[in-house]
Amino acid sequence: MIVVPCPNCGPRNSGDLRNCGELVPRPDPSAASLIEWREYLYMRKNPADWVTETWYCRGGCRRYFTIERNTATNEIRGQEAS
Amino acid sequence: MSNRLTAQPGEIIDRSTSLSFTWNGKAVTGYQGDTIASAIAASGVDVFGRSMKYHRKRGILTADHWDPNLFVQVGDEPNVRAGSRRLEAGMEVSTQNVWPSLEFDLGAANQLVGRFLSSGFYYKTFMRPKFLWPLYQKVLKKFAPGGRIHWETSTHGAYDKRYVHPDVLVAGGGPAGMGAALAAADNGASVLLVEQYGDLGGHLLWGNEDQRAHGADLAASCRAHDNIEVLVDSTVTGRYDHNWISIMQRSHDIAPERLIKARAGVMVVAPGLVERPYVFAGNDTPGVMLSGATRRLINLWAVKPGNRAVVMSANADGDAAVGDLKRVGVEVVAVLDARKGESIVCVAGKSRVSKVVLNDGRTLNADLVVTATGWTAPTSLLNMAGDRPVYDATAARYFSNSLPSNILATGGITGDGSTAELEAHGRATGVLAANRALRRRHDRVAQTARSNDPAWDKPAEMADSRTPLNRVPHPECYRSTTHGMVDFSEDVSSKDLIQASKEGFDSIELMKRYTTVTMGPSQGKLETVNAAAVLAEANQVSMAEIGTTVWRPPFAPITLGALAGRIHEPVRRSALQDWHDAHGAAPLLAGQWVRPDHYGDPMEEADNVRNNVGLIDVTPLGKLDLRGPDVSKLLELVYVNKWSKLDIGRVRYGTMVAEDGVVSDDGVTGRLGEYHWLMTCTSSGAGAVWEMLEDWLQTYRPEWQVHVTAVTGGLTSINVAGPHSRTLLERIVEDVDLSADAFPYFSVRQGTVAGVSDCIIWRIGFTGELSYEVHVPSGHALHVWEELLAQGEDLGCRPFGVEAQRILRLEKGHYIVGQDTDGLSKAPTAGLGGLVKLDKPDTIGLPELKAAYERTDLPILVGVQTDDPEIVPEEAAQIVDGGSNTILGRITSSRMSPTLGRSVCLAQVDPSLAAAGSSITVLLADGRRVTATVQEHHAHVDPEGARQRV
Amino acid sequence: MGKRPPKYSAGALVKHGLTRGDWPRMWRRPEMHDSYDVVVIGGGLHGLATAYYLAENHGITNVAVVDKGYIGGGGSGRNTAIVRSNYLTPEGVAFYDRSLDLYNTMATDLNLNIMFSRRGHLTLAHTDSALRTMHWRAEVNKLQGIDSSVIDPQEVKKQAPSLDVSPNTRYPIMGALYHPPGGIVRHDAVVWGYARGADHHGVHILQETEVLDINVEGGTGPGGKGAGGRVSGVKTSRGDINSPVVVNCTAGWASLISNMAGVPLPITTHPLQAAVTEPCKVFLPTVVVSGSLHVYVSQTDRGELVFGASVDPVGTYRVNGTLEFTEELAGHVLELMPGISKMRLLRQWSGLCDMTPDYSPVMGFTPVEGYLVDVGWGTYGFKAGPVAGETLAETIATGRTADLIAPFGIERFTEGDLVGEKGAAAVGH
Repeated sequence: MIVVPCPNCGPRNSGDLRNCGELVPRPDPSAASLIEWREYLYMRKNPADWVTETWYCRGGCRRYFTIERNTATNEIRGQEAS
Repeated sequence: MSNRLTAQPGEIIDRSTSLSFTWNGKAVTGYQGDTIASAIAASGVDVFGRSMKYHRKRGILTADHWDPNLFVQVGDEPNVRAGSRRLEAGMEVSTQNVWPSLEFDLGAANQLVGRFLSSGFYYKTFMRPKFLWPLYQKVLKKFAPGGRIHWETSTHGAYDKRYVHPDVLVAGGGPAGMGAALAAADNGASVLLVEQYGDLGGHLLWGNEDQRAHGADLAASCRAHDNIEVLVDSTVTGRYDHNWISIMQRSHDIAPERLIKARAGVMVVAPGLVERPYVFAGNDTPGVMLSGATRRLINLWAVKPGNRAVVMSANADGDAAVGDLKRVGVEVVAVLDARKGESIVCVAGKSRVSKVVLNDGRTLNADLVVTATGWTAPTSLLNMAGDRPVYDATAARYFSNSLPSNILATGGITGDGSTAELEAHGRATGVLAANRALRRRHDRVAQTARSNDPAWDKPAEMADSRTPLNRVPHPECYRSTTHGMVDFSEDVSSKDLIQASKEGFDSIELMKRYTTVTMGPSQGKLETVNAAAVLAEANQVSMAEIGTTVWRPPFAPITLGALAGRIHEPVRRSALQDWHDAHGAAPLLAGQWVRPDHYGDPMEEADNVRNNVGLIDVTPLGKLDLRGPDVSKLLELVYVNKWSKLDIGRVRYGTMVAEDGVVSDDGVTGRLGEYHWLMTCTSSGAGAVWEMLEDWLQTYRPEWQVHVTAVTGGLTSINVAGPHSRTLLERIVEDVDLSADAFPYFSVRQGTVAGVSDCIIWRIGFTGELSYEVHVPSGHALHVWEELLAQGEDLGCRPFGVEAQRILRLEKGHYIVGQDTDGLSKAPTAGLGGLVKLDKPDTIGLPELKAAYERTDLPILVGVQTDDPEIVPEEAAQIVDGGSNTILGRITSSRMSPTLGRSVCLAQVDPSLAAAGSSITVLLADGRRVTATVQEHHAHVDPEGARQRV
Repeated sequence: MGKRPPKYSAGALVKHGLTRGDWPRMWRRPEMHDSYDVVVIGGGLHGLATAYYLAENHGITNVAVVDKGYIGGGGSGRNTAIVRSNYLTPEGVAFYDRSLDLYNTMATDLNLNIMFSRRGHLTLAHTDSALRTMHWRAEVNKLQGIDSSVIDPQEVKKQAPSLDVSPNTRYPIMGALYHPPGGIVRHDAVVWGYARGADHHGVHILQETEVLDINVEGGTGPGGKGAGGRVSGVKTSRGDINSPVVVNCTAGWASLISNMAGVPLPITTHPLQAAVTEPCKVFLPTVVVSGSLHVYVSQTDRGELVFGASVDPVGTYRVNGTLEFTEELAGHVLELMPGISKMRLLRQWSGLCDMTPDYSPVMGFTPVEGYLVDVGWGTYGFKAGPVAGETLAETIATGRTADLIAPFGIERFTEGDLVGEKGAAAVGH
């Protein structure tokens, strides 16, 4: 149960939130080719390193926000050590 | 024969309180303060159980929680550690691993063939003939170790959990741990001090008079300190990321075990050291024990461990054991100084040691062999924090390598010292821990946007200037010139380990997996270092090159009951569910909700809707109140169809797809006002749709002004369906004109129902009949429901349940997302042809929608009727290509239709079969193949919709 | 080709017992060569099986299997060792059934007892929609000749008497998909069996050899990597290896390795946790899985209960596990079997799963010539190991994608033809 810093509610147990995975920019749906669209849908960087990801403060203020987390250590940028 | 000594100065037993219990059916008496093992040992018992594989007799080895030989059954509780469990009156204690009895055990025959049962022998045999292996498995299962579940009495009782948020959590209540707790508390930190055994003090408890007095002073200070909470008989079992720490508290009032979850600012790890056995032939014979066991037995419980002792000592603790033995009248026939190379070669004896062979060639008669050959640092909690301890050959044990800033170690795990030195190191650690923890607490409060900033200044960061404890040189004493047990729980000997290494299992992890060394109940506390030493010897490398296995949580086993705690799996109930229960509804668990499946006869209920009027509680329907000027933009985005021109007072059906074009949800949304809409979605999708809307609004179109409020439970939803529904509503709706012209199909009105204002009524038709869905503020729902029934009595108004609704919707051909569609169903499959608008600039999944409509190979949802009207194919029955096994689709929904008197289905079929009139073959569950015909419409009843438009 | 290993048998065991002789090494620690015909990255079940079948079925023996740690140290040794073939999709069924066939004869094929316990596999249904999915699977299974059927609660009770099948629980057991051929296998033994077999064919198993880069030339991506390129070897912690064929069998680390070749993957890495209890006398004869309760459980012949759950919701490369996994697991297991409340959880661990969007693997050729993948196994890797090795070896040897893995090509993610296993996969053990 890691601690995730909600910008509104403060540090919270991760069980109070939902992880929405790595942030992937959405291509313009009216202009994107299918190849581009499916890269957006399926391809992930999945690094063992710092990743920018989205969380949803499900049990609190219901805000979506992004943080940087190191997937090799679970360290969160600006937070305490893992 | 009693082995109980006269009163010992440090004994923790209360001789004025006798406790009666049974040991293998025989009555035994112990004292308050005894462990199960000390009481049994005091009664003169040497043999406590049998080993796992060879069923060798086993006695006390360590006399603490880690003793691998002291697993007993207590009543219906299996695998109780007699070495640490406090004795209670009335306990029924029995041996576990024997058959038929402790004295005569058939499994002991394995000893005779032991030379053939080397580690991994089972991998090398029973390959053929093939039938032999399953037979042998049956034999193996009979010999499974461990206790027994008593199914008649055992159940999940009352358990609870607790959360704590200490600044500093101290794991271990010895001199260093207590020192750390006191110093941290003195420096302003809130402290939780957790001690595994029954009292604070650690090894001081069985020490000399000065040590006991010092320990008692420290313990009293801890208990008296306002900032310290002391938990005894409690074990820190795990350390997880971000210092999330599990503690298993025993002897709690409400349950045998309680799980405590701590978010600690800093954890101070002070578990002391675990004494390790010496490896020699016969080292598992009853009467061979570690110096700590001897000292605990004598000093804590006044139990005489034997009569004639040989002691092999490599350290001061061994020397102290000699003193204890002599003091209580045990004849010490030899003291071997391991520092000078004196050693035991082997011992003889079955139920008890009888002879000891020494490396100077002597053979001595003795019934007790005590070894003090060194320590294992129980680094589990440090491992869990990412530390990989490193072997120090001088001190002959492992030390931590690097720790995150929120973990500090102190005490024996970091080095050696006198009681005063250990306490001093603990205190220095406590000061540092308090500093770090208070800095964290300050950060945490400051980071919370809605809390006031702390009224105190953040302390300056303190450097770690602790003077490390010495590492006192200790001989590397692991194995004698003979082979003996390394893992007592798993019956793995040093010979097994050497053989495994020669076979290629030459790294510690491979060896562990092949031989199962360290995999037993003590999880390596006693075995890991000896195993590494034997492997180093086999590989002819240094211990440092071997490394150790990773110690995994938990530090000590935890009952499933404590982990589960109070099982909290609530069921959602509508405001009307009590009424349903009281009126004979069969409950249906549907996702989070319990719903009325039917009130007796679902076919009759469906029939009543077609002919009169019925009521169904559809509260679980997901409901979202949407307000703001940009709602129509949001609807354009999330639905596949168009929404911009929906007038106030109108409702529309919409389907949602995900970004990959797969159908995700559907429902009806109505416009109540210029800036006010009510969206409905599926019950199971309600939460996901709400979160999805928020996601798009917050992360993609933050400039849109829309406010989303979930009102699923706040509004109770009642569907009034049937030809008499308008008549019924006209009797109780006050301020809405319900006439067909004023309130046409797919419209919404707000009004007063049965005197309840602010109800929302919309006219839609999931059942295919003239029907109105009334959304009532839930506090008044029961009144409206009962009023509808009362006012509609003469109209034949009766409730109907989910099953009748399923029949009605299938007759009408309405599909259910997730039942008639699946994880790959794109919009064309669901037959949404005319609904989907691909000319919008943006909608979720737009490129995939466009691509899907280019394809001709996607399955199509169709109405199907079996050619034999009596046959109702099972839902999930496969549609096959004639007599072959090629799958061309499946029945997704099926029911007998009371309206048509025949079976009706929806099915997903290959596009080649989708044309109306196509004949298909359905394979029934019983193996029959029957023909069926694809229909022109999904709807089997009233495809034109005449009944709902009246 | 090396000489055949000395046979394991009861007779040989007795002989060794009498003479107290040493058994030979199951596999060697060979010197690394500077070139091989095929380099397999990842010394787990998949990598070793691939190497074994390259040698055994196709005579390709100049093969290296490289692993940064020790063999079987990843998912192969961390899974819960359940095998079955009652999948939802026809392509899944065909594939896993072949794997089950290979498991059935593996002990004799590899001359090592992998302790296959064909004890039956129950997937419980707690809702009518779950029951419908079970029926769907059973019907698809039956059409492909798989022994699979839906049974009622009374029959469930017969198969697993310790289960609470009363109707008044929060998650009543409404029935189950029963799959008699399913069971459990000693997972490590499978790894060792393939390693031993491959080694004796001359395959080099290079432990403690970490791949640092994959050499690719002529590609359109940065550094000449990526689509259109051609593989020429790998750079390892112990030096370079030239090879025209490089195979990625690295499961949870698949993305990191594939990036070295410039081939992005539709994968996210999530831990899958498992746990084991202290032993108790054997009471659970079958494998029991509950999708709604996110749990699967079996009891070893030694009496330990082995538990698994669904993958952790937060992607990470951390394998130190979580407390909440054990809490949820215990709660759910006690829903099924309240009687085991006093059993103790002994150890928890976790492995890394390479999750794909459709819960199906990514196998075969890639846009980089000579670079093949066998990844994306998610939680199913152990069940598939033998057939994955067999088909991948065939694909490498023939230069043509084996039929059984044709649905699992990487191109399906650009063509939008995902496999439909996800529906049955929430907890698919």
